[in-house]
Amino acid sequence: MKNKVLPLLSVGFGLLLVSGPLSAHHGKGAFDMENLTIVKGTVTKFEFINPHALIFIEVMGDKGNVEHWIAESSSNNHLSRGGYDKNSLKPGDQVIVTGHRAKNGAYGLELQCKECSVADSQNKVLLGYYF
Amino acid sequence: MRVRLKCSIRGLAAVLVFSSVLHAQSAEQSGAAKALTQAPAVDLSGVWEANMPGIQWAEYSFVPNVPAMTPWGRERYLAAKPSYGPRAVDHSTDYVNPTTGKDVGCLPPGVPRIYIQPFLFEIVQTPGRVVELFEFDHHMRQIFTDGRQHPKDPDLTWMGDSIGWYEGDTLVVDTIGLNDKTWIDRGGLPHSDQLHVIERIRRPSSDALEINITIDDPKSYTKTWSGNRNFKLRPTWNIKEFICLDNADYNEEFINKSGAYSSPNPSKQHAKPAKPNK
Repeated sequence: MKNKVLPLLSVGFGLLLVSGPLSAHHGKGAFDMENLTIVKGTVTKFEFINPHALIFIEVMGDKGNVEHWIAESSSNNHLSRGGYDKNSLKPGDQVIVTGHRAKNGAYGLELQCKECSVADSQNKVLLGYYF
Repeated sequence: MRVRLKCSIRGLAAVLVFSSVLHAQSAEQSGAAKALTQAPAVDLSGVWEANMPGIQWAEYSFVPNVPAMTPWGRERYLAAKPSYGPRAVDHSTDYVNPTTGKDVGCLPPGVPRIYIQPFLFEIVQTPGRVVELFEFDHHMRQIFTDGRQHPKDPDLTWMGDSIGWYEGDTLVVDTIGLNDKTWIDRGGLPHSDQLHVIERIRRPSSDALEINITIDDPKSYTKTWSGNRNFKLRPTWNIKEFICLDNADYNEEFINKSGAYSSPNPSKQHAKPAKPNK
């Protein structure tokens, strides 16, 4: 249940990234920052912590297997100033997560970008990005 | 005889010049001593957030281009494995922002790198002292504006020895005594323990702060260079808690378990799915 967003969009996203805010704790060299990946799944844990908030998601794989994804956003200090808190996500939430996937194909997502988000099934943003 | 007379005149002139320097210094000390009881000449206080919109290099440095280095400086620069900037690597051993999954990165960024760490900082001014409180890892700096001079042979520290004075609408901060364990920025720009940092801090408007930073380190760079850093006031915000040792949990839960950093060679391989902690 994961899709790669059209590569054509990546140019536009690239421009947005250039004008985006400064990123937080560490560089993003391990992630494919040129393309966005979208996964749909269920939140199993949400940690609203420094230096990065972490979202754990169970995703049903193409072959019926369960994939355990982990996504990181910016620090809880930054996110709280954007209006998010420890209750923004809770276990059991059905979510659509948009982020940059690990280059090596692991189930890791980087959510520190303007286009990145965790939304509900109605595409309402539950956890956006704020720096 | 004429030669001797010339020498004497030169000697007398030297004494007069020297004594005038001494007089100027003592006058400076005397004037500075008054600062102990004087209010700061300009109000820089407040909580400040970086404001460098649309400037990609501001994420990791003070300047867009790499300053000209000495051979000693370049050797250090090439040995650095930063997490940010044009020389960023996946498995960074950055002493502050590592991605090895083992290092916690709790060493102080140092001066001036602390201004690049993307968190708020607060300026608190008192007569005779300016304090900078950084949200990032709760680091702090003291800038003494009470007229004291630098120690003649300062102990080398991560944040150095800072003295300051007011020139019109500007706080000038002079820092020496920095150890050579830090980088100038997040991109791995090196420095030696001869680093001398001059900051000119002003408030061009009530909600804006501008810091001009000059790097003077002849052991690392062929000439002095400088850059600007801009901030915006966040009047309703406060510095929040930020404890560096929390990085250890983050390393374990994300750097190691996500598998994103498990292979230095990007490939189609999928990492073993991580099991979220219960």
